[in-house]
Amino acid sequence: MQPTITKEEIMQVFPKVAATMADALGCDVEDIELDVSLIEGLDAESIDFLDMVFRLERAFKIKIPRGKIIDNARGDLSEAEFEQKGVLTPVGLAQLKVYLSEVPAERFREPMKVADIARLFTPETFCKLVLMAQRETKAA
Amino acid sequence: MSGHFAAFSFVDRITEYEPGQRAYGGFKVPAAIAAFPSCLVAEAVGQLAAWVAMAHVGFRARPVAALALETRFVRDVEPGSALELAVTLDSCDDAAVAYSGHARVDGATVIELHDCLGPMLDIEQFESPAVLRDRFALLCGAGAEPGRFQGVMTPNLMVTTELPGQSVRATLLVPAAAPFFADHFPRRPVYPATLLLERQIELALRLAGGATEWHAGESIAPVRMTNVKMRAFIEPGQRLELGADMAAPIGETAKIALSARTGERQVATAQVEIGRRQNQ
Repeated sequence: MQPTITKEEIMQVFPKVAATMADALGCDVEDIELDVSLIEGLDAESIDFLDMVFRLERAFKIKIPRGKIIDNARGDLSEAEFEQKGVLTPVGLAQLKVYLSEVPAERFREPMKVADIARLFTPETFCKLVLMAQRETKAA
Repeated sequence: MSGHFAAFSFVDRITEYEPGQRAYGGFKVPAAIAAFPSCLVAEAVGQLAAWVAMAHVGFRARPVAALALETRFVRDVEPGSALELAVTLDSCDDAAVAYSGHARVDGATVIELHDCLGPMLDIEQFESPAVLRDRFALLCGAGAEPGRFQGVMTPNLMVTTELPGQSVRATLLVPAAAPFFADHFPRRPVYPATLLLERQIELALRLAGGATEWHAGESIAPVRMTNVKMRAFIEPGQRLELGADMAAPIGETAKIALSARTGERQVATAQVEIGRRQNQ
């Protein structure tokens, strides 16, 4: 069961997330729209994702383990239930669609490789990441 | 003499070591070399962090230079100096190491590194884990024999375009062969990021030096470098196009945006602040 994150919660953290992402990507904060694809819209590379997570940890004083987005998306599913040989299972893909509910359905490929999940990420994905890390910090 | 652990290695000894957490170490800058640029001091701090990180993951992976959010250049280091190195790891796992650190000479800080991050990559592609493990034991024990470093020859910049007070463009031809490639790294030669940064700072000094804000005879130096990001490995023999652009009107410092490209691919970006030299 995925924890609920409201749009209001997302909009509360979005300005700081956007400013942090703009620093990492070297672009104007106005370019960071909530639903822009980070790879296809803002030319982000793998090092930029590392940079963004690194800066978000500092900006929000949270810990985000590497690969946390995939872990969050997997939820209660085991690795084998989520993916087989680097390709999402039907159950895994359905779970990913729920977790990345902000991403339009047509952007999910079928079959979908785990390595391609990052192509779906938007600033909203990172807002959710921050909010879930904040909840985990509070719960600890 | 083999270049391995000599031509580009800047930790002689690890004096205190708390696994996965922090370490102190040292490096004796040979007196016979002409100069020891600040970027090599930063390299020494980064190498100490790399040793701690590699040991923490059982020498399965090694970090490579990627991000340094802030570096403060406090003083120059003279040949013959004994560097006192310290690093603290914020986090370290098989994916990445985050650390901060500093170097001192005679107890006085010469450089500070804050919020650095290096992705951890499969160590086998760079060098033998067994050799590194033995080396780490030596550094933590008796220490390595000092004086192995004999200086580093780096290629000259060829300035291609210059708009005084605004921007400078230059070409850097990375050598196809050089002694430091035997050390960085034995199985996969990579042009060290810190050598690139040294040349980029040189370009920034050229740009800032042309400004009229400094008083006659005043000496300028790098004060602070931020947002260093290495996007790709630089291979031996590559041709780099370097750029330095004045990012803001000069106040106490000149703020300059730095870039390096190979063709259309941006391989490195950073900002540097150039100011009046304080300590000389």
